[in-house]
Amino acid sequence: MSVLSKLGETLICLKAGRVTLPYPAQALPVPENFRGRPIFDATKCIGCAGCANNCPAREILVFDVCQEIRILQYLGRRCTYCGRCADVCPEKAITMSLEFENATNKISDLGQKLDLFMSTCQRCGRCFKGAAALDELKMKGYRSDDIPHERWIYRADAFLETEPVVEDIQIELD
Amino acid sequence: MIAREMFEEFKARFGPLIDRADLPSDRRLFVFVDRTVVKFVCQHIFRELDARYVASIGTDDRPFSGKFLVAHNFAFDKDHVLCSVLTQLPEDDLKIDSITKMVPAASWAEREMRDLLGIEPVGHEYLKRLVLPDGWPEGHHPLRKDVPWNEVPESYNDTEDSEFKFNDPPEGCTVVPFGPFHPTLDEPAHFRLYVEGEMVRGCEYRGFMVHRGIEKLAESVMSYNDIPMLAERICGICGCVHSVAYVQAVEEAAALKPPLRAEYIRTIMLELERLHSHLLWVGLACHIVGFDTLFMQSFRIREPIMWIAEKISGNRKTYAICLIGGVRRDITHELKAELRVVLDKLESEWRPVVAAVSKDRNIQKRTCGVGVADKLLVKNAGLLGPVARAAGVEIDCRRDHPYAAYDRVEFDVITAQSADVWGRVVVRMNEVFESIKIIRQCLDKMEDGPLQLEIKDELPVGRMGLSSVEAPRGESHHFVITGENNRPRRWRVRAPTYQNLQGIPAMIKDQQIADMTISLGSIDPCFSCTDRLETIDLRSGKTRVWSQKELFEMTRTRTKAT
Amino acid sequence: MDGSLIWRILGGVLNVGVVLLVAPLFQGVLRKVTARVQSRQGPPLLQPYFDLLKLLGKEDIESGETPLMQRFAAYLSLATVLTVACLVPMGFVAPMNGVADIILLIYLLTLCGICTLLAGLAAGSTYSLVGASREMMSMITLEPLLAIALIVGAVHTGSFRLDTVLNGSVYETTGIPWSGLIMLAVMILSFQAFVQRLPFDISEAETELMEGPLMEYSGPKLALFKYAQMAKLVIYSALFVRMFVPWGSQFAFPLAGLLFWAMFWVKVFVVVLLVTLVAATHARYRIDQAIRFFASLFAVALGALVLASYGH
Repeated sequence: MSVLSKLGETLICLKAGRVTLPYPAQALPVPENFRGRPIFDATKCIGCAGCANNCPAREILVFDVCQEIRILQYLGRRCTYCGRCADVCPEKAITMSLEFENATNKISDLGQKLDLFMSTCQRCGRCFKGAAALDELKMKGYRSDDIPHERWIYRADAFLETEPVVEDIQIELD
Repeated sequence: MIAREMFEEFKARFGPLIDRADLPSDRRLFVFVDRTVVKFVCQHIFRELDARYVASIGTDDRPFSGKFLVAHNFAFDKDHVLCSVLTQLPEDDLKIDSITKMVPAASWAEREMRDLLGIEPVGHEYLKRLVLPDGWPEGHHPLRKDVPWNEVPESYNDTEDSEFKFNDPPEGCTVVPFGPFHPTLDEPAHFRLYVEGEMVRGCEYRGFMVHRGIEKLAESVMSYNDIPMLAERICGICGCVHSVAYVQAVEEAAALKPPLRAEYIRTIMLELERLHSHLLWVGLACHIVGFDTLFMQSFRIREPIMWIAEKISGNRKTYAICLIGGVRRDITHELKAELRVVLDKLESEWRPVVAAVSKDRNIQKRTCGVGVADKLLVKNAGLLGPVARAAGVEIDCRRDHPYAAYDRVEFDVITAQSADVWGRVVVRMNEVFESIKIIRQCLDKMEDGPLQLEIKDELPVGRMGLSSVEAPRGESHHFVITGENNRPRRWRVRAPTYQNLQGIPAMIKDQQIADMTISLGSIDPCFSCTDRLETIDLRSGKTRVWSQKELFEMTRTRTKAT
Repeated sequence: MDGSLIWRILGGVLNVGVVLLVAPLFQGVLRKVTARVQSRQGPPLLQPYFDLLKLLGKEDIESGETPLMQRFAAYLSLATVLTVACLVPMGFVAPMNGVADIILLIYLLTLCGICTLLAGLAAGSTYSLVGASREMMSMITLEPLLAIALIVGAVHTGSFRLDTVLNGSVYETTGIPWSGLIMLAVMILSFQAFVQRLPFDISEAETELMEGPLMEYSGPKLALFKYAQMAKLVIYSALFVRMFVPWGSQFAFPLAGLLFWAMFWVKVFVVVLLVTLVAATHARYRIDQAIRFFASLFAVALGALVLASYGH
């Protein structure tokens, strides 16, 4: 009978009580595995750009000022909090924190910039190889992403000049 | 070797017409035929062998083989075989016989091939724009390899040409526009309903408003391990399904087998996703008929699943847990125990709800006899998932084309016989219990082991992989051709809503407007998965650009006349 | 005569004032109880007051086909409802007792429904027209039910006066009041439709029609409509109480009158609670199902009328 089923449904509802959590008056319980905002630790970073190569959103820019200085900039605008950067970092310099309340009216609040002093590799002088075959981004040489305009440039510069050694497709990401 | 037997049969029947065939395993069959005989082969497979139509895919293969490639995929559910009929087309004569007359379900796929690649389906009766907007210039096909992914053609003017070119409505009908903004729809879609009083006599559907060019991105700028993160965001609910399907397709193409523990974890995450999707749907269906209380209760019962998923994977919905060759995170012993507790509580709370709703005549009155999709429509339009199972057609990719750990667990395939919205409600409510059963079996059977394969070499190039995964809405089919530079050459996603939407005009015909929303909701539409919408019109023929003023005028005159 | 005129005016002001004051509070109770049934917290009890204030403070935009008619419909709806408030005895004699009768009451109640129609037709968009047509269809089968209830009372007592009919007159027969009990059942089954709540809020089905007739309204005009809807809930509940459970609500003594005035409002509150519970536990019916339902109730009501004319 319909009335009985309605009464049954009402009893289910009333037995449950009130389940509204008093957020933001009380902090929301966040599990320890949660993938929140990534925090970059410049003291541990070796500048391998593994994070930049494996970011699906291409949100980490790399710029080589000269042989010894590399700038790594995490923009944080389109970051999907996937945690791939933290996974591939060989020095565990990136941690996925528990912060999820990242709303801001100034987007540069989310950016993290690392200025790194690089030492040359004894054997080849420059490059790092990714950990696994599938974690490589096929680019060789110096990186020259456009940091002032926050643009990721899919082109490799071999000797800090503008002529590419590898004939990559001229694609630019805004 | 079932695939081999099938191939022997094909060879016996078609003989010299087959150029080449690949049998990578006993469950996959790739047959290359000449383009003149594609129609006959497809007819034989679809009608005489009674296979199920899955997808049609077009590829620009010119940098590698100099030709375009078209694939028609079919599934033999009882024999557990996925078969692909491929043909190569030269660049200067880009035409292929349309198979839509025999396989009506291929209608959208062929229009898409025409829009995005320029492959002309000869004999297709309704060649309107599907994916691209009406004002897009002819001859500019975005999926071709020589078109950069971020190029917008100069002759496309976003303001003037951006109106849709709709068809004329039938006699005596008013036009009721449904969407793109509507409280019922979560995502934008436009249904132009032709109504007579309160009865819907037909509709025209335009969509693909959330087409994001994912396939082009994957071919141009992403790499193999970036794409699961992108695939996850194809859909707002069945994200894990797409990432697992992609990863499985690549693994099949590269002949990699992930470790057993990874397969169990993938299965558990997929079933968790099915749980939360079905619970959400039951709530949504009740909300559509106005029953907000059950909507709130379903969401309350569903919330612990989101929390446990967050504990396991780090996020409530985008699990980001699949990589090529395995998974990223483990389910520890504590998480296992917690998951069991959550499942027990869920089951104990969901049983009374199912019992109450099954006897609720108020809901049944709104859903019985509404949105009917019988077995014939299921076969012709290629309907999938709970829509097909509610009509009595027992198809389920978990059983028919087993993947991950599904061949090691036991479960039932739930069907109903009523072929209407109520049947779909019943099927989805009961599938919750099956999912709980599967997760429990996985938790018991999971052995220790590595989570990820060590992939030392680059993946082989030019191999094809197919993968069919049972999403909560139906079968999600991915087709991958591996490529150079650490990215695939072609990746095609065919979500279940792509097929289910093609059945909507038949389902809502001669029903009331009020039933239209629940019929649409009963296929559990996920427009983001689909990316496109298709319309089947009552009267083919002249198209005309209506200005908004004219539309208003027409509506008012019709209303005054009735 | 003069004193009673002042008494009438005061009574009218009191009625209107109480309805205006109490309607948003009852709406708040409705929303809170619905939320608790749905296991959530719900808005504060005084939220509808703030909603109305917010709406009144917005810009008065003209949109739709005939803005003048839209404005008129908004004013008319609230005005009609408040006029009806003066006709219903709420704990003491109705202010317009001698000058109005139940025929006027029936007309005014129908006029309330017509205001929604006017709103929908004046807006002129597709969805509002569909909503208006639904409202038309349901009104044709629905309004007669209340009219028949009042007429049954009139037949029993032999007069059209407000204070006689609206005093449980349906039960005034010798023996068991069959027609009264039948009309009570009919009104209970159709009450949700009068106050436009689930399962019969078809014309303003949010998920199907995007608010139907009220689609083109915003700002102050919407505030008037919303107020009218809230007040309608109170008025209809008051009518129901006066017609079917009136005992202990009309006394002449001032002090006792105050007590029974309070009791009247308690009864109205109970009716509102019942409306809420039914609305929270039902899905919406389709227009054809609803019309069939009302048509069958109409047939039953006619049967009750026939019984009443025979003195049962």
